[in-house]
Amino acid sequence: MSTVLTLGEGFGLGVVAFTLVGAITTVFVLLERRVSARIQMRVGPTRTGPHGLLQTIADIVKLLVKEDVRPEYADPVAFRLGPMLTAVPAVLSFVVIPFGAPLVMRALNVGIVYFLAVPGMTVVGLLLAGWASYDNYSFLGGLRSSAQFISYEIPRTLAVVTVVMLAGSLNTVDLLDAQKPVPYIVLLPVSFVIYMATTLAEVNRIPFDIPEAESELVAGYHTEYSGFRWSLFFLAEYGALYAAAAFATLLFLGGGNGPVLPAVVWFVGKSLVVVFVFMWVRWTLPRFRADQLMRLAWKVFLPASLVNLVLAAFVMMAVGS
Amino acid sequence: MTPVLILSGILFAIGVFGVLTRRNAITMLVAVEIMMNAANLNMVAFSRLYHPELMTGQVLAVFGIGVAASEAAVGLALILTIYRRYGSTDVDRVDLLKG
Amino acid sequence: MTASDVLFIIFGVIAAACALYGVLTRYLLRSIVALGAFLTAVAGEFYLLAADFVAVVQIFVYVGGIVVLMLFALMLSTSGERQPLAGSDRRGLGSLLAYVLGGMVVWATVGTRLPVVPGRLPASVPYLGRALLGGQVFAFEVLGVILLAAVVAALALVRSERL
Repeated sequence: MSTVLTLGEGFGLGVVAFTLVGAITTVFVLLERRVSARIQMRVGPTRTGPHGLLQTIADIVKLLVKEDVRPEYADPVAFRLGPMLTAVPAVLSFVVIPFGAPLVMRALNVGIVYFLAVPGMTVVGLLLAGWASYDNYSFLGGLRSSAQFISYEIPRTLAVVTVVMLAGSLNTVDLLDAQKPVPYIVLLPVSFVIYMATTLAEVNRIPFDIPEAESELVAGYHTEYSGFRWSLFFLAEYGALYAAAAFATLLFLGGGNGPVLPAVVWFVGKSLVVVFVFMWVRWTLPRFRADQLMRLAWKVFLPASLVNLVLAAFVMMAVGS
Repeated sequence: MTPVLILSGILFAIGVFGVLTRRNAITMLVAVEIMMNAANLNMVAFSRLYHPELMTGQVLAVFGIGVAASEAAVGLALILTIYRRYGSTDVDRVDLLKG
Repeated sequence: MTASDVLFIIFGVIAAACALYGVLTRYLLRSIVALGAFLTAVAGEFYLLAADFVAVVQIFVYVGGIVVLMLFALMLSTSGERQPLAGSDRRGLGSLLAYVLGGMVVWATVGTRLPVVPGRLPASVPYLGRALLGGQVFAFEVLGVILLAAVVAALALVRSERL
């Protein structure tokens, strides 16, 4: 009986995670359109429903009734698998995020490494989607996207390692307690900057969005997808964006800690601020060229994160804490 | 414990079959990785038996994963070089040293 | 029949099925994708064996690194043709050897009386850290050198001659 309960709980958590990411995507698509509109001195969607709140619902209905097209020469297995392999890791990475101290799906003892490792699987999905579409632009977009992802993975991991050195644990819940006196953004500002920049690159947001730049590659690796399959890519993008923002509040802003209000409110509030910063950057800066992007990863961010790691280790040893 | 060891034995046998049967260099590498993972599984299983606090099996598995990564990198670089030279990745075509 | 046992059976079946498909299929891409699924199932097995750090390292390095490497190699070496590969004429010898080897391992395992497994350790990461940087630190550093040598070698091999 307890077997069934345990397995049922696991399955239920999976459903919850998917629903959560779906809800997040719904909210953020609208949020992005309103934020970008305000930054560009216009208003954005305000007519569908009160204040445009039903806009995403309308978008979803439109996407679901679109015909599911598959290019004739596309490899059927890879074409179908690509979007799934991109969306699922974004959902899985929510398993270790504590929305306020008790609200975590699984407080894994290796939670931080898990969070860094699982999005690595999206690269496989990107390559499959790009290659399977049998179209030069998609292929190039898929290759560029994967190269960008794996290049920025290393500085990002090194920045997170400095936080782990301070916290002394790979458990995401322990990070909340460790930041009770002082949030880590004060102690490790360079790591914070490196983390934010490399995360923008990981999630393919401007200034690092060459893989899906509309003016460059049509739509990159998801050019040939329509309807529901395309919305899976969107789910992956916004899900990963919020997961990264939540992780940033967890690592650096002491997510959930704060007086008076319950921890959930603090956590959601802080992570929304981070998301707003991501969106602000997107609609303000131009994008990097593909070679500038790669040069930045290997010649700027990697040395910077290595030096930061060594310096942080020295300071920690010197201070003795 | 025994089911894990039997599983790793079966997986290793599947890997052996793959290495002996496949002609394309990349699929041979796939079979080699299957064998390495079967061995890692075995080591991790055994590390729970004697002095689990030493974690010897898990340390060996981590090293195995690291070595497999370097081996795959060099192996795939070699495959690409062979492709450039011979125009195909079929290992039966690479026979310049053959009598 | 605890939940762990059920999950063990599920992961084991997935791993064996994916491995079998990976070595038998005639399409390169499907072989590599099957390897990816196999590696994830094995990571699940690692987690069930109280090796949680090894499980996430497996996903990080194997699925997120080696499978990606193989896909890059595939895309750079097939020049657009998606034909199935030819079958092999060594199937008989291969399967004979595989059965013999597998049979020997299974027979040896079933015949051995293994001691009882002691209880699960509280968390594997502190012990693993102590082992890696304590008793096995030399091998750890050598692994770093091996990885460096592999990176340099791979770069030297794939560099275009014109540069």
